[in-house]
Amino acid sequence: MPKCNISEAHVIDYVYGELEQTQTSDFENHLTTCNKCTRMVAGYNRVLRTVDEAENEFMPHVIVPRNLETKLYKRLADAQPEKTSLLTRLSNYFAKLHLVMHEQKIASVCIFSLAVIVVAFFVGNPFRPTADLTLNRTNSANARIEQYRHQDIQRNFEDVLRKKHLRNTDSWDTVSHLNRVKDQAQGTDWANIANNQLKRVHSEF
Amino acid sequence: MDKMIDDEMLVAQFKSGSQRAFDELMKRYQRKIFGYLLRSVRNYEDAEELTLEVFFKAYRALGSWEPKAKFSTWLYTIASNLSIDYHRAKARQPVYILEDEEAIETKLVATDISSNPEKQLEDKERGRLIREAVDELSAKQKTVFMLARYEGMQIKEVAETLGMAEGTVKIHLHRAIKKLQTLLRPLWENNEI
Ligand SMILES: [Zn+2]
Repeated sequence: MPKCNISEAHVIDYVYGELEQTQTSDFENHLTTCNKCTRMVAGYNRVLRTVDEAENEFMPHVIVPRNLETKLYKRLADAQPEKTSLLTRLSNYFAKLHLVMHEQKIASVCIFSLAVIVVAFFVGNPFRPTADLTLNRTNSANARIEQYRHQDIQRNFEDVLRKKHLRNTDSWDTVSHLNRVKDQAQGTDWANIANNQLKRVHSEF
Repeated sequence: MDKMIDDEMLVAQFKSGSQRAFDELMKRYQRKIFGYLLRSVRNYEDAEELTLEVFFKAYRALGSWEPKAKFSTWLYTIASNLSIDYHRAKARQPVYILEDEEAIETKLVATDISSNPEKQLEDKERGRLIREAVDELSAKQKTVFMLARYEGMQIKEVAETLGMAEGTVKIHLHRAIKKLQTLLRPLWENNEI
């Protein structure tokens, strides 16, 4: 019997089905003459089979905890605002403007941006971190969740308007999207705003 | 939301402000991630806590995430790092949090294996001992072993998930299997499998 040069890594590759087809058949040929490799393969397979049985018994099916999403959003609402640099906030600010004005000419983007900046400077600081990062930590957890929900509605609403602008010809998608926002916004001012937009879409098409 | 929309599309939608896109991503992966972490930490509450932490980190980092790998790989990377940290933090405590009686029972069973070869172990106890052997692996060995065996990943994907070279993954796998072989040997010597 020739001396065996097969590495243990190669045997593991074989057991894990990681060898290419030609390598597999070469190795299987080798197995017919090599006791050492045959024992190794059998040993590894026995370990895997044994562990499989115990692991399948441990977890025949997974019952996912309930309300993970709600818990996540509560945790996000409770989290400290992330510190972002002025530059990042500026670029985010312009990126958002750019998305809204997607297909317009650059000139109008610039004029609009300038106008917004001028107005915003008089009204308040336009470069504060984006809404979801500026939750007021003095609020109770529930108030923050509510605040978070409002921001969520607002984001979805902006999403509708942006998409409406982009697809322009597809009213059905816009209407269903707006209806979802309206449902989500029940009990808030956003419901009225969504309703007005719906009326506008109906009159446009 | 449409199942046909792929993860990367949802990520793009989230980046442009769609909250619902993240909900959908979470819906797609919470079962897998929770299952993976449950197997890893063996404790329902801790697995839930870690799952939340995975999605929390993902939510906060997704805005600046550049898709060099699949989204699912990235989630597994976060989950694996958290579970490795968890195991390191718990390294000096028993992995199983057993009630006293259970602990005593386990010890008795362990004694049975080595001192009473004729005794057949109950399936349940046998399963538990095997899982304890798995939990004896180092954090990295166990993570590599779990990803390759129970998350359906090829060695290449495991390497990508853990930021390791493929050769390193194989070394961990090899050590894991060797160690399991040693730890489980009493079972095979005493029982026909
Ligand atoms: Zn050989």
